Amino acid sequence: MAEHHPFDPRSPGHGYEAEATDQEHGHAGTGKYVAVFIALCVLTAISFAVGNWPTLRHSAPGAMWAMMMAVSCAKAMLVILFFMHLMWEANWKYVLTIPSAMMSIFLLLMLIPDIGRRTDRYSEERWLYAAEPEEKNEHGDETEHGNHDHPEHDHGKQKH
Amino acid sequence: MSHGHHAAVKLHYQPALPLGRGKLCLWLFLSTEIMFFAGLIGTYIVLRFGVPAGTWPAPHDVHLQEYVGAFNTFVLICSSVTIVLALEASKQNNAGLAKFWMILTFALGCVFLGVKGYEYKEKFKHGIYPAKPHSRIYEKADLYYVQGVRLTLASQRDALTARQGRLQQEGKSLSEREAEDLATLNDLLANLVQWTELKAVREQDTVMRRLAIDKMAKAIYPHWHIGPGTDEIKDAYVASLVREEEQIEKDLVTVKDDLQKAQQEKANLEKQAAPPEKAASDAPSNATLVALQNQPAAGQAGGSPAPDAEQRSKVLAQIGKLQERIDGLNTEQARMQGRTKMIELLKEEKDDGLAHKYAQFHLPMVIPSGNMWASTYFLLTGFHALHVLVGLIAFVLVLLYRLDHTKSHILENTGLYWHFVDLVWIFLFPLLYLF
Repeated sequence: MAEHHPFDPRSPGHGYEAEATDQEHGHAGTGKYVAVFIALCVLTAISFAVGNWPTLRHSAPGAMWAMMMAVSCAKAMLVILFFMHLMWEANWKYVLTIPSAMMSIFLLLMLIPDIGRRTDRYSEERWLYAAEPEEKNEHGDETEHGNHDHPEHDHGKQKH
Repeated sequence: MSHGHHAAVKLHYQPALPLGRGKLCLWLFLSTEIMFFAGLIGTYIVLRFGVPAGTWPAPHDVHLQEYVGAFNTFVLICSSVTIVLALEASKQNNAGLAKFWMILTFALGCVFLGVKGYEYKEKFKHGIYPAKPHSRIYEKADLYYVQGVRLTLASQRDALTARQGRLQQEGKSLSEREAEDLATLNDLLANLVQWTELKAVREQDTVMRRLAIDKMAKAIYPHWHIGPGTDEIKDAYVASLVREEEQIEKDLVTVKDDLQKAQQEKANLEKQAAPPEKAASDAPSNATLVALQNQPAAGQAGGSPAPDAEQRSKVLAQIGKLQERIDGLNTEQARMQGRTKMIELLKEEKDDGLAHKYAQFHLPMVIPSGNMWASTYFLLTGFHALHVLVGLIAFVLVLLYRLDHTKSHILENTGLYWHFVDLVWIFLFPLLYLF
């Protein structure tokens, strides 16, 4: 009989010999990991800088969020492709990753317009029972009464 | 393989999957994990963006430091590199090097959890808990909030007063610090809480009521968002304090005037009411009053004329009323002076607030949407920390083996799981710390 038990994972047909050939191509050198590491650090620094950019946060929070999520997706791709070796795997990788990733992204994208933006159309009554938004006018002039009875005037100016 | 009696059987060759079964199972597990964390982040989106626009606390409002989160991100990235190097070493049959990288990975995982623990401790220290019994977060600056502050302060004041009583019986007194705390508690109760309560009750204008309570909330826990407009909000708050101070100064002049007039009037009445034989004496008002009160009884006993006594009792009643008014004015004056001092303190503490200055009193804080923030923060980071913990346990189990090339598939699977934990944090860090 053969030396390999048929269910030995190291027997032919289980991908191990493929890995060995990959090794010969030198796909997973230490240099590549260091490069990915540096890229991840730089990307983290970018999202940190974007998040601590007061002007952007104030004027276009949507753009700020989108930038940070784009950076996160780039970092996630780097980790998946290089650290998790998905770049060099056979086609089975698509079956296990694409559907769940698609469902996840779809779920998140659908939640933003559905729920994330729901306060955009709150009625005046609804606001009465909502937590107080931080309003600039409210802290200021005590003699300026007009604005306080209508907090929704300011919501348009706030981040959505 | 080609024996005669097997010739009739047709054997079909079934190609195996191009990956080990352990790895297959792990990838299946990871795809369910992708779904799980997508659901968790979806929950976060629903809750975070569901709050009224602009109320979600900024990191500084809830004692969250971005650079601590960034440091933890860095730690996880490093650990991802070390575990991948461990796998490489193991594939090259370098068991010693593989073990070294694994131990380093384990240490980095511990650092991550340690930093997380420190962050949690900071939240708990400042009364930020996900649920009510410990949480000191109020969503709105309303009467419930004022009541919450009063109850918090009063219970501590009462405890200290009771202790003082017990100690006095034993001939001892409160320690210097306790005595100072007691004085501060009384000061806060009178000049911060009661002042606000009276303002909220007496003001005709509902907006002014709300502003009074809002001012108290700001004094206790200011949350100045970073960004343009921060200084304006803070300046407006200080300006409102200055305005209040000026108003009190004006009112104080009136009160002092009234007080003087009332005392003058009282002195006149006392002169009028004084019986002829006592008119010459310039006794202080209190003594005169006592003397006057004793007078009618003595007069009746002596059989003095009734109309005179009636006249005098009328004057006495007037004096009594005036005395009440004087007492009231005195209280008002003391209240105003106390509030003026309090305003000076509030101006000094405009940056960090009284909750920071008097951390020992555990003052309730108004953080709009703060409870929701705490719930989501602890939920997301908690689930992630749980995954880190499981990873650390896996590392310990892996470290029991000699990590040569026959064990590299175990290392590979552990590594895949750990990279996934890193991956989740890559999304959680900006979502929780930077959004």
